[in-house]
Amino acid sequence: MTATATEVLETVRAEPTERWSPSVQGWVARLLVLGLIFGSVLWATANVPSYWADRISLAAIYAIIGLSLNIVLGYVGQVSLGHHGFVGIAAFVAAYYATQKAGCTVDTCSFNTFMTATVIAALSGAVAAMLLGLIALRIRGLYLALITLAYGFVAERSIFEIPFLTNGGAGMPATRPDGWATDREFAFLCFFFLAGVIFVDWRLLKSKVGRAILSIKHSEAVAATYGINVTAYKVLAFVLSGLFAGIAGSLFAFHETNVVSNNFNFANALLWVLMVVVGGLGNRIGVVIGSAFFALFPFLLLLIGPLEHFLRDTLHREPDYFTIVIGSGLAILTLIQYPGGIGEQVAPITRWLGGKPFSMHPEGHEKHKAPKKQRSGGLLAKVGLHKSQVSTENNTEELAALGRAVEGSKEDDSE
Amino acid sequence: MKTAIVVGITAALLGLILILGAGDDAGPNAAVVIGVMTGSIYGLVAVGLVLVYKGSRVFNFAQGEFGTVAAFIVFILVEQIDTNIPYWAAVPIGLLGAVGLGLLMERVVVRPLMNAPRITLLVATISFALFTIGMEIILFLPEAKVLRPMIAATDATGKPNGPNIFGYFVEPQNLIAFGVLILLAVVLGYFFSKTDLGLAVLATSQDAFATRVVGIGVERMSRFIWGLAALLGGIAGIIYVPISGTLTPGAMTTGVLIPAFAAAVLGGMTSLPGAFLGGIVIGCVQSLSNWAGFNYSLTIGGVVKPLSSIIPGLPDVAIILVLLFILLARPQGLLGSEA
Amino acid sequence: MSSVLSIKNTGIRFGGLVALNDVNIEVPEWEIVGLIGPNGAGKTTLFNCIMGAYTPNSGTISYRGTDISLLPTHRRVAKGIGRTFQNIGLVRGLTVLENCMVAQHPRIGYGAAGALIGMPRTFAEERRLRNYAMEVLDFLDLTHLANSHLDGLPYGTLKLIEIGTVLATDPDLLLLDEPSSGMGPDEAHALGERLLKLRKTLNLTVLMIEHHVPLVVGVCDYVYVLNFGQVMTSGRPAEVQRHPEVIAAYLGGEVDESSSEEDADVPA
Repeated sequence: MTATATEVLETVRAEPTERWSPSVQGWVARLLVLGLIFGSVLWATANVPSYWADRISLAAIYAIIGLSLNIVLGYVGQVSLGHHGFVGIAAFVAAYYATQKAGCTVDTCSFNTFMTATVIAALSGAVAAMLLGLIALRIRGLYLALITLAYGFVAERSIFEIPFLTNGGAGMPATRPDGWATDREFAFLCFFFLAGVIFVDWRLLKSKVGRAILSIKHSEAVAATYGINVTAYKVLAFVLSGLFAGIAGSLFAFHETNVVSNNFNFANALLWVLMVVVGGLGNRIGVVIGSAFFALFPFLLLLIGPLEHFLRDTLHREPDYFTIVIGSGLAILTLIQYPGGIGEQVAPITRWLGGKPFSMHPEGHEKHKAPKKQRSGGLLAKVGLHKSQVSTENNTEELAALGRAVEGSKEDDSE
Repeated sequence: MKTAIVVGITAALLGLILILGAGDDAGPNAAVVIGVMTGSIYGLVAVGLVLVYKGSRVFNFAQGEFGTVAAFIVFILVEQIDTNIPYWAAVPIGLLGAVGLGLLMERVVVRPLMNAPRITLLVATISFALFTIGMEIILFLPEAKVLRPMIAATDATGKPNGPNIFGYFVEPQNLIAFGVLILLAVVLGYFFSKTDLGLAVLATSQDAFATRVVGIGVERMSRFIWGLAALLGGIAGIIYVPISGTLTPGAMTTGVLIPAFAAAVLGGMTSLPGAFLGGIVIGCVQSLSNWAGFNYSLTIGGVVKPLSSIIPGLPDVAIILVLLFILLARPQGLLGSEA
Repeated sequence: MSSVLSIKNTGIRFGGLVALNDVNIEVPEWEIVGLIGPNGAGKTTLFNCIMGAYTPNSGTISYRGTDISLLPTHRRVAKGIGRTFQNIGLVRGLTVLENCMVAQHPRIGYGAAGALIGMPRTFAEERRLRNYAMEVLDFLDLTHLANSHLDGLPYGTLKLIEIGTVLATDPDLLLLDEPSSGMGPDEAHALGERLLKLRKTLNLTVLMIEHHVPLVVGVCDYVYVLNFGQVMTSGRPAEVQRHPEVIAAYLGGEVDESSSEEDADVPA
């Protein structure tokens, strides 16, 4: 039975809902679990063999790439098949700056140089992505996907072949910064940047910027009617995506210590799209987990001793070969069966950690219980309450008037 | 009518270049010949893309892999297994494999997502393409193999087996490519305009609901379209891989798919003859800009540098410029009917 | 009385189809002006032109004397124009509360850059914004739905949220697109009463697309009749109601949901 506007307005007075808050023990439990998760990741990074730490850096870099792609794929709602272009350009720029302009040698590279290189790389990524954003103002959907493809193709076949950038094809070196050069130290450096990216992404969604971008995705006409500058926010979304991609590019350059065009190709770009899909479009935690999974997968296989022997000795296949098959298979499964991806599967846990009661379903999705009907004598009292609660807001007067108007119309209607 | 005009103009332009450059060894003639040959391959793949777009309104990113899979099957039968299967017998088996892959894709990915947003289906085709490539890596290892052409390029003494056209020794495989293209253009043209099944396919692509009302099975149509597209992709792969020289996992996707997309868009995503034409044009754009890159130079800072070193990857950049131009200026392409 | 909204000689064409032709409409301050006409007459198209979603081929649109024809939509909104949609202009991906917050977008006191870095001002403003949006929901008695998504909510509730959200932006000019759609005669009557009260208490000027004739007659000070993209006639509701061409346009035109009620209401 659909309620009509009149019925809802006149006769219904819901009991005021208080925001549920966990008890002290609840908070302690949540903090413990959170600490356990972070603690184990950090402990693992500090204590596993070096080649593992190296892979963990890559996982963090992939996570940043995933978050970058997630802005375009999940928040804006367009497919980018050329992200390897942004990451690659940034990587080459960072390496070029560090080696050719700032004097890094094979043995040493100052931390300041590394930071500057990362900033420049982030800006290059932002500019490269902004160009795409401007095109995205006019073209959308499948055809925009084709343009992103073209973008990446030009980057791969032309920009990444420019001799002075690629050092004549030998690759542009990028020595790891002093003090952060070992695999373990570099992994922690990557974590630092990942945390920063996650923070900005969190602020994005919790502020008017994220709301604006999501509104635009749903309907540009409605968003504009809410006073949102659609053009500016669309471009801003791409710029932000490019910034993240640029950071990832710089980290990648210093991780590999030598940037070649082979590092960034069409297959990578497609795989990155898949990892965001598997993670769950628009879901930050899911995307981080999904990206890390794609990066770590072969190593995870290696953890299972018998499996490793089976693969290497019986099948004569490297575990690395299986990443693409498993990853794309998961992607197909996600698209057809589990559209929310990993993010949706872990949602009960993340919601609990965020301070909500543990439940398998998100808040507000239980069918709306019909609020109890009461005489609305309390509405006037409500008006008084609001005047004292809110600071300066001249709309309060109007809303009070609205309340009185509603009250007044009820008196006029014959009962 | 419009088709005839556009084809005529294109042929005339190409003919002009050939005539003007005749006799000059450094002229663009060889480039045009090469362009038409490689363009035939792009056209073959592009036709499959257009077919799928007309049927499912999506860009099929797995179109290239139909070809790679077919080439792998032929490779196994002809080069690896000691079964003495002649090449001409291995080809149909390879094509069968490609069609099987296409039908599998239709069942597993396309049908469940028939009512999903087209972007979702696009990502699904990408996933399937990568899945196929991943399987190729596992089955055949990420190394380069060589599949020999149907008719060897040179005979035992090293003398070329193919004709010399305008200064370029055309390999027999290239002639096969061009010949197959013409043949398919005629066959498909007849099929889609004169046969009931062909007309039904076109009708389905216009309006799925209406065709269902009339009684044409939309699911069977979908299977047919994807099977046919896979067949075309398979043909393209078996012809192209020997020309390209290496058979690796994902060969068609990395080598041919993007120019094929450009060809399809240029011809008009809804026009089958446009795809053929677009292929030829893109092939010529690629080879002519390659030729121009070596033939023309700029003097920068006192040093004379050929264009090809100033702009790396010039032929590919040229293809992309054409694609961008079409998408921004005339999205319906040369012969297409919708933007 | 000065005109809040002034539409002069406005016309727009889509390819070969002329959607609006030489439309002249004046909306004086504090009046409720009705815009009626058969389906397809161009009423929503006109709204889109006023808001800037479409750019007319000819004519000017002025708001309080300023020509806004070239302004992008978000600038027009910032000047004080609010609009509701025929199909509920709310954002489906966001919760009810977030929708109320989005509507306040132009009034938010922090910049995008500051928001991303996490400046303290952002947090304070967000808290204020959230409280204010909760108040709006409170007045609508919908706080229990604050964190709900829009799917599954009844049509009437969504309409209520939309109107409440738009009103909370304190507009001077309100464009309502068929506010009574989905309502029965009693509810439409109550809506009319409420509109009259709101006009008084909030100093509103209203331009309203409507099909429901009793509502138009009861509430509007002036009515424009649009047919085939042109202003067929205009005047006080009672006059327009009796105009033979208007009767012909409705009776002879396409059937819409409220036409049967209109038939009953139009005097012989």
